[in-house]
Amino acid sequence: MKRTFDTGNAAITEGAILAGCRLFSGYPITPATEIAENMSRRLPQVGGFYLQAEDENAALHICNGGSIGGLKAMTATSGPGFILFADPFGWAVSSEIPVVIVNSQRVGPVSGITGAPGQGEFYFSRYLTHGGNYETIVLAPNSVQEAFCLTVRAFYLAERFRTPVTVLADQMVTDGWETLIIPETDEEFRGMGLESVPRRIHPGPEFYPASDAIDIPPVVLGHNTGAACSDWTPTDRGHDTEDVTWQHKHAWRLIHKIRNHRELIDESETWFLEDDPEIILVAYGTPSRVVQSAVRAARKEGLKVGGIRPISLWPFQDALFSRKASYLTVELNWDGQLVREVQRAAAPGSSVHFWGRCGELPSVRELLAAVRRLKEGKALERDGWRTEAW
Amino acid sequence: MAERIEILISGFGGQGVVRIGQILGQAAVYEGLFTTMLISHGTETRGGYVRSQLVISDEFIDSPVVERPDYFCAFSAIAYGMFKVLCTPQSLILHNPDLVTPDSALSARHWAIRAESLAERELGNAVFANVIFLGALSSKLKSISSENLVRALQDRLPPRYHEQNLRALELGRSL
Amino acid sequence: MNGMAGVLRRGEMRDVMEKYVRPEKNPGTACSGCGLRLAHRKVLEAIDELGLGLGDVVWGTGIGCSGRQTFVTWKGDTFAGTHGRVYAMATGLRLALPPEKRLILTVGDGDAFTIGFLHLLNCARRNVDMTVVVFDNLGYQSTGGQYGVTTPLGSRTDSSPYGAWEPNWTQGGFDVLRILKEAGATFLARHTVLQGHEPVESLKRAIRNRGLSLVQLIYPCVTHYGAQALGTRDLAKIYDWFRDRTVESIDADSSDSFTTGIFHDAVGSRPEFAASMREFVASVQKEGNHG
Repeated sequence: MKRTFDTGNAAITEGAILAGCRLFSGYPITPATEIAENMSRRLPQVGGFYLQAEDENAALHICNGGSIGGLKAMTATSGPGFILFADPFGWAVSSEIPVVIVNSQRVGPVSGITGAPGQGEFYFSRYLTHGGNYETIVLAPNSVQEAFCLTVRAFYLAERFRTPVTVLADQMVTDGWETLIIPETDEEFRGMGLESVPRRIHPGPEFYPASDAIDIPPVVLGHNTGAACSDWTPTDRGHDTEDVTWQHKHAWRLIHKIRNHRELIDESETWFLEDDPEIILVAYGTPSRVVQSAVRAARKEGLKVGGIRPISLWPFQDALFSRKASYLTVELNWDGQLVREVQRAAAPGSSVHFWGRCGELPSVRELLAAVRRLKEGKALERDGWRTEAW
Repeated sequence: MAERIEILISGFGGQGVVRIGQILGQAAVYEGLFTTMLISHGTETRGGYVRSQLVISDEFIDSPVVERPDYFCAFSAIAYGMFKVLCTPQSLILHNPDLVTPDSALSARHWAIRAESLAERELGNAVFANVIFLGALSSKLKSISSENLVRALQDRLPPRYHEQNLRALELGRSL
Repeated sequence: MNGMAGVLRRGEMRDVMEKYVRPEKNPGTACSGCGLRLAHRKVLEAIDELGLGLGDVVWGTGIGCSGRQTFVTWKGDTFAGTHGRVYAMATGLRLALPPEKRLILTVGDGDAFTIGFLHLLNCARRNVDMTVVVFDNLGYQSTGGQYGVTTPLGSRTDSSPYGAWEPNWTQGGFDVLRILKEAGATFLARHTVLQGHEPVESLKRAIRNRGLSLVQLIYPCVTHYGAQALGTRDLAKIYDWFRDRTVESIDADSSDSFTTGIFHDAVGSRPEFAASMREFVASVQKEGNHG
């Protein structure tokens, strides 16, 4: 084991390389630039390719192209680049090609604030392309170590599910420094609970069967299998069709190969959930660290508070919210995003509240104050703004 | 019993705010401790300050936010003005009185270190001021040994700068 | 089909179709009388004359008439990209493919010269080994006939009912191939599909080039360009208009003509991108890790 002090950007780089990533294409953008820089240094050392693209759209297309050639590929960006992925992300979803996307969320919309954390792409990461008719996998680390582990996990899931997987980080995870443990042998890799699968090659020329099966090798070109993949609606041969029946079979596969294997994806951390909580704080990413502190502090005060941190964000884990309680989501945005999903998923009779902020983490003090107000049945306020009105 | 130490370092870009946090954090990792460091940059750099929020603990650190700094290294008047409100009577504020005028209304303790002039006099260059601060700060941190601090400094700085920085570190530790 | 008699050597063409094209995709989706089938066949003839087999070529396609006509026609490995981005995809794919595999992209004029031009220019800058065949039907025809950057000035289309007036990249002293030359492409040619074997020769040279080649193949669209801009669906009249407009010189005045021939042949003059990348990676590995 190598024990070091490093950034989330470095952790993501090392995780990707250990997972077998041999192609990175990206475009410089704060705060994800350092991932590109690290990749430009590390990839050639392991025989991999670093390619600076003309824009983020090209970057993910280059990754897609590398992936259909058999390379494990990754790109990394932040909000203004993430929006340019709509086109190649959709292609990879529909062609069922593994690729890993990292988004270090900053403050938006548009250029927003470059070097400060935001959480504005909770829904956008779910609906990154047009047309619906698919399910997707999004993982959200809250520490440098977890950024490492979830990057490895993202490659693993991408291969097994033949699909893009998004690591939804934030500026504090990627720019933040923290203790980082990196395995140096296969045994240590497995010992840390990490898994990896090599790229396999679809035998072609038939396309994927109309089923929810996973672990089918993705299409890889250049092996003279007669394999085909495309943005068109595929038949069982991979040919283009405008037939609704085929389109339905295709959509069904895209949706249910993921939804029917939730046990491989779902991951979460909870605090005091079995300890009769009346108020449950919910957060993902860096704010969840403060939430964890706040929940502990509240328990010390004798308040019946619990906490939920979804680690896999999409598919959304409704089952985490089956307890009737008063839920408070803590998010790095002003408009309230996670809160909407919690409101949808929360057990009947629950009340759902929102505490938002952008660019800075909340403090434990502020969260405790919010919890006390909730307990007293008062509306939440911050700096004189009623934050309940999301 | 968990011990959590919160350290806030802030100043202008180029004053080594991030670098001395890296050295301290690396030294803590060598001690087998948990460390987090949040960096604020971007618009904040242009707006007048860079900030490192460093937390050192013997157990997993949940919140990485420095809410009540045990130590605050204020490298500029702007940084001091911005973050002094977080300080408590237990806080120790390390500052250069040539750059920062202490607020007499604060209950926090102040430690005046004329690091720039000391660096210039002893090492011929004010650029070593931040490592003098690091030395002074580290002398208060019982959980981090001098040996690991030196090792971390050697790890994080290019070899050609080791000798002068090690002297700066020693100057700071002996204050 | 009398107008095509002099151009098509039908027996041979049926052969290359049978040899390389998936039977279920033959004859494809193009409208009756469309020059796109001719264009498609020119590429197959070039492949055939080079003696390349199914395992030697990976075939990619863009969007539009050209994409739809040629997608998954190739019996070997094949893919279709998103609109205008297939050049970026091909760049990534090129890094993964063995260098000896030929990578051929069949795309439209809109795909290559407008929506995808940024990516195409960057492929030219890097000199990525691929052959881009632009099936140029003088505008956006699969969406019903709108003007593009190769539509002759004055043409009436569904989006230029008073005649196309915006500057284009083929007249008024402009040539889209010159931009690509400046960007670093190593083989560039332009022909019409009615020029017999000449386009096939250019395509062969293009495919052999270990670098970025582009061949612009202008072909007649009967259904939209013919009907809207030329006022006829009569194949013979449309083909006559094409022949009258074609000049067998690449340097001629292009204000009222399709100038044809090899525009730029710099085969072998610049390093190929994927090869350079492999050399660079090998040198970093050889010199050891400096990180």
